[in-house]
Amino acid sequence: MAQPIKLYPQLTRVSSHFKKYDIEVPKALLEIRPQKPDLTDFPYPLPQKKKDYTCFCEGRNGVMWYGSNGGVTRYDPNTDNIYDVVMYFGARRDLLDNNVHALVPDDENGVWVLTDKGVTHIAMVKMTMEEKSYKLLEETLTYVQRHGMVSQKHLAEPGNLKSALPYGHSDNDGSFSSGYAMGEIFRYATLKREKGDYAHETLEARDVAMRASEANLLLMYVAGRGDGFVARTYLTKDEPVPDDGLFYKKNGATASCLNTTDARKKNIVGLEVKADAPIPERLRKHYTCDGYEDTDITYKGDTSSDEITHHYMHLLVAHEFLGCEDPEYDELLKTAARNTMNHIIDNGFQLREANGEPTTWAKWNEEYFNSGMGWADACLNSAELLMFLRVTMHITGEEGRFLETYNMLCNEKGYAELTTGHFDRFHQVCLQGGIDDREDIMYGDHNLAVLALWGLATLETDPERKKLFLEGFRSWRYSLAPEYNPCYDFPYFLSDPEAKPDEERVRTWFYRFNVSRLASNVSLTSRRDYPVRTYMGGYKEVSALPTNDERFIAKLDRNPLEYKDEDSGGVYCVESCYVFTFGYWLGRYFGFIEEGEE
Amino acid sequence: MDKTIKLIGNAHLDPIWLWRWQEGCGEVLQTFRSALDRLKEYKDFVFTCSSAAYYQWVEEIDPEMFEEIKVMVKKGRWVPVNGWWVQPDCNMPSGESFARQALYSQLYYYEKFGITCKTGYNVDSFGHNANLPQLLKQGGMNTYVMMRPGMHENAEIPENLFWWDSADGTRIMTYRIPESYCAHGKEALDKRIEDANNRAEETGHGMMIFYGVGNHGGGPTKGDIEYLKENLEREGYNELEFSSPDEYFEDMLNQFLKIPVWQDELQHHASGCYSATSLVKALNRRAENNLAAAEKWDTISSIVTESAPKTKEFEDAWKKVCFNQFHDILCGCSIMEAYEDVKESEGYALNIASESYNNAVLKIARKIDTWIDGVSDAILETRHYTGADNGFPRPVVVFNPHSYEINMPVRMYHPSKAVTDSEGNSVLFQNVRSSRSNDEHLDTLFMAKVAPFGYATYWLEKEDVQADKELPGEQDFFMENEFISVELDSQTGYIKSLVNKETNTEYASDNFLAIPTVINDEATDTWAHNVFKFHDIKGLMELQSIERVEKGALRSVIRTVHKFNESYLTQEFILAKGQKTLKVDCKAMWQEKFTLLKFAFPIGGNDEISTYEIPNSFIKRPCDGDEEPALSWADITVTKNFKRFGLSVISDSKYSYDCPGAELRLTALRNVIFADHYSYRPAANFNFTDEGLNRFSYGIYLHDGEAENSDIVKEAHLFNNNVVAVPESYHKGSLSQKDSFLYTNADNVLITALKRCEDGSGDLIIRLYETKGIDSTRCYIMSKLFDNGFWFDIGKHETKTFRVDRELNVKETNFLEGIVE
Repeated sequence: MAQPIKLYPQLTRVSSHFKKYDIEVPKALLEIRPQKPDLTDFPYPLPQKKKDYTCFCEGRNGVMWYGSNGGVTRYDPNTDNIYDVVMYFGARRDLLDNNVHALVPDDENGVWVLTDKGVTHIAMVKMTMEEKSYKLLEETLTYVQRHGMVSQKHLAEPGNLKSALPYGHSDNDGSFSSGYAMGEIFRYATLKREKGDYAHETLEARDVAMRASEANLLLMYVAGRGDGFVARTYLTKDEPVPDDGLFYKKNGATASCLNTTDARKKNIVGLEVKADAPIPERLRKHYTCDGYEDTDITYKGDTSSDEITHHYMHLLVAHEFLGCEDPEYDELLKTAARNTMNHIIDNGFQLREANGEPTTWAKWNEEYFNSGMGWADACLNSAELLMFLRVTMHITGEEGRFLETYNMLCNEKGYAELTTGHFDRFHQVCLQGGIDDREDIMYGDHNLAVLALWGLATLETDPERKKLFLEGFRSWRYSLAPEYNPCYDFPYFLSDPEAKPDEERVRTWFYRFNVSRLASNVSLTSRRDYPVRTYMGGYKEVSALPTNDERFIAKLDRNPLEYKDEDSGGVYCVESCYVFTFGYWLGRYFGFIEEGEE
Repeated sequence: MDKTIKLIGNAHLDPIWLWRWQEGCGEVLQTFRSALDRLKEYKDFVFTCSSAAYYQWVEEIDPEMFEEIKVMVKKGRWVPVNGWWVQPDCNMPSGESFARQALYSQLYYYEKFGITCKTGYNVDSFGHNANLPQLLKQGGMNTYVMMRPGMHENAEIPENLFWWDSADGTRIMTYRIPESYCAHGKEALDKRIEDANNRAEETGHGMMIFYGVGNHGGGPTKGDIEYLKENLEREGYNELEFSSPDEYFEDMLNQFLKIPVWQDELQHHASGCYSATSLVKALNRRAENNLAAAEKWDTISSIVTESAPKTKEFEDAWKKVCFNQFHDILCGCSIMEAYEDVKESEGYALNIASESYNNAVLKIARKIDTWIDGVSDAILETRHYTGADNGFPRPVVVFNPHSYEINMPVRMYHPSKAVTDSEGNSVLFQNVRSSRSNDEHLDTLFMAKVAPFGYATYWLEKEDVQADKELPGEQDFFMENEFISVELDSQTGYIKSLVNKETNTEYASDNFLAIPTVINDEATDTWAHNVFKFHDIKGLMELQSIERVEKGALRSVIRTVHKFNESYLTQEFILAKGQKTLKVDCKAMWQEKFTLLKFAFPIGGNDEISTYEIPNSFIKRPCDGDEEPALSWADITVTKNFKRFGLSVISDSKYSYDCPGAELRLTALRNVIFADHYSYRPAANFNFTDEGLNRFSYGIYLHDGEAENSDIVKEAHLFNNNVVAVPESYHKGSLSQKDSFLYTNADNVLITALKRCEDGSGDLIIRLYETKGIDSTRCYIMSKLFDNGFWFDIGKHETKTFRVDRELNVKETNFLEGIVE
């Protein structure tokens, strides 16, 4: 592998808002008579029309700040990084509103901004990427974590972390929590290597990683059906049950299906299902420590292939770095892998719900692949199933039916070859629907494809199959590559010896990642410097990838080029840190990046 | 699987081939009438027809019939396909031409019929460049029908139905017609039905049969339709159905198919057509380049001077160019008389280009402040020289139509004793021999440095030369500048040393270079059907004279004259300061029947690979000696003495090259009988495609590493697009003496179009493409035309079109400019 890309401390934007006459606000900001800047020969694209700029000030080191009726523009003529030359700050992420009246520099690298609704101090705080990862982690642990799982938390008041509701789950808690757990495990592994087994940071990282891993593993046990069924997530008695799926209230020996729209559609309201399979105590503690009993638990079913894919990669990573030094925990990982794998095999390569029917999305069999819905999914799902089998064999050390099944799928059913056909099938389905490829991508599939194919590339030993899996990985690059996302690219580079990272883009992805995951509007649609492309079906995206701090906050399931100001969660939301921490610690562990000193 | 066989009723219409366009026009009118009659007679019958040019003829000549067609289109019984002006040659038009083929045609279809064509359809074109999937998709089409090359010509290309990918990642579903696009008569139809049925059984999916009298039009006959109706359901056969390519592809897309993927070009069919009839090739290249450059400056000028753009005039001109790209025209295989018509219509287009260009730049020039205190007036006082008698220098404004800075020699038609730029700095110049015998016999060449899409004013001080200055007496044949040194052999006139001075690489260590080679071509026809290599060397041209013509501060020129039988070739090798390309101006008086003239560059070495320009992209091909189509440049790159380096040949008007091993050859002439189809050649005074006087230029560019990593695209573009220099007078003005109106930071991006949107909105259209085959991010364009700029990412080989409105909103669109979404 090439030398690690050095990441240096960077100025990172941090905004604080004030009332106009707050004592903190410098008087100069209120007294200054703003002058319009002369932008006649401004050499780079500006986010607003030149005539809409109303004021300016000069900051440190020749940095210029320009205010407009559409936000603030920062111009650094001395930077070598093209991504940093012109920065945009807009409402509501960086400003209270976009109508800027005056600017004055602060004593360091930031600026004070007077707008219609008050004053914002944009501090440009120098921090290392490791520091950023800790700040993000701290925010997640404080405001987002729920029973050790992370997805996002809803806010009662936009922009106010402290208004985070104590409850709230997502359909894919297992997926996002797996990503989070893997990131923390890679942090532990990195620090252990760099600082030693017993360093304070290493031990702290191990605690966090283990907590995250256990909380995630609990989902593979919590249903208590005893057949390897995996829950999407679970709620305690103090959390409201929303009407968006199938929920089972645990009552002791059984759990009963709650009355929701989906349950009524499936005619399974009140259906009783076994629930008393033992849950390992070290996993149960994630709710018992808060005073809840098994009968206080309601879990969510109808689990998808997304969840299972994330769980299996988590099992692999947890086995490699936690299980290896904790046999008891390793046994729990192995049991989970074995049970769920058997469940899938026994049920014709499907996850089976309480009523004996397959869940809506967890299907990996030929019947599904040959159906209208499954035809385009087949290439991804075949890779997923093969990865589950590989991981199960690897961590349990057992081959038997797993290897037989794996060989049967590859040799008789063509699953290995099927992994290569993603683009062929996907493109055709798009044409059928009269839409462009880019508007039909399920962006959440990106992460699934990366995990499944990375897992296979890592564990497969047969060169011919390995070649097929690499070809499969490459078939996703047409849509993965334009994101320049290390979470996708680092696993790909690990799998494809010919591929190399774009150093500037890697740096920029980390440098320009927000130090908070607080969702907010980013005013992308009011900018003039990003062309907008409308596809056949009406979907819109911008023609250049905005930096992380100038686009909406999302998980690893959205198109970062999408032309919109906020994610579907709106501004009443704080996301978890896993997008950054997974990419950062994975990159650190595998030597793609390292911290550099100025 | 649905294996229904779709019957595609069509009439292949060659508007020019063995006839002139007037006959082709009549053929269209008759065929369309016939098709309408058949549609009325047979309720199931569906008629498919391409080429917007034909519809426009009908609209103008027979509006009543056009209304009938509209009704049938609305009913879905008449299906326009191929949203292009004609079925062009699919190798030689530029990327911008393909954009215009789509733009004017799809907008025409949209305006007249309320539809755009979804299927690309070039059933007779003689090969299909590798970037065509992208060019089709950008023009609103995502499926394609083609036929040539046939399986006998290239069996590697998938048969029947396949996915075709271009290097940017665009994919289109493509149907390769087996055998024929115009089956007619029971016997032929039975054969097609049998074949299609077998193919459907083999592949498991439906097929198409193209029927109807074609080439000279005609279309499906009553007999054909009735016979097919009788056989729609034949025992043991898959069902037949009157249909269209649109329906066929829709059916195919709705099935779960596993069909082959092809990621290369579709070649070769008529390899002689890349070079036959130099006249039409030269006119096409010139018209494409002049129109694009003129339109760029018309756009800039209309904004800067607040005048009306000539959008409509450019539309008219481009339509002529698009028409003349019809495969039998541009391929040089029509009758000689047809090329008289080509000269007329290309002349029309070229005239629009030159008038528009001149008007545009002069409108700007007149607003430049060139006033000098003391100049009494701006009256022309001396021939060619305003203000000269007062001792004032004369302003000349140089306009750059390129998206990159230029630094190159510019010619003015009189001698000078000094040249300065707008800041008063001395500029390198040289008085060189003029082409006239009148007055001083000297012109001025000066080095002009002009910013992207910019202009710069230079000041020329007149030299009072009364008598002809003697030209250098030295008779050495060596020239060099900062980048290149070259020496011609005094015995042969070929290049005996050619060095890239930046890397100290000698290219002629093993062999002479630039060897004019005469190839025998008697056994083939105009197309060179079934012949893919031209290697039968008849002889090398022999040196008649060699002389040094110029040796000055700015450039050197050596002239050679070669002879082969009664044919002569004059070459002027020109090496100017600061230039990375050695230019060679050629004049050939050609008399050799059934020959090709090639210039050979056998540089030798190993691991040779050839690279060629194709529309808005490049392609790498094996050095197997096949004759290859390309646009303005081709390259051979080799490893030799542990170095990797290459030589590119640039051309101003040629499209044909070959690489037999580590040797690149430019095919400059192909002199065969017009429209000769392996037919009986009766005794007659046949005319030959390239006989007589041929003027053309080629350039030699040297580079380190692979071709795509070099500056070859810019060099070739520059070679093909002369800057415009206009003599000015003294006047006050609001514009400074130099300026730049638009630029991009991306070194691997070439801007090919700067125009106004066709919808009359005044919006600006900017089209560009990626030249080096690398994914690039954080590119930007800045422009004074809209007083801002925008960011864009661009993938390898990608073409992008942007539209900027008055509110500075920027849309990324396609060739259809967002008028048809």
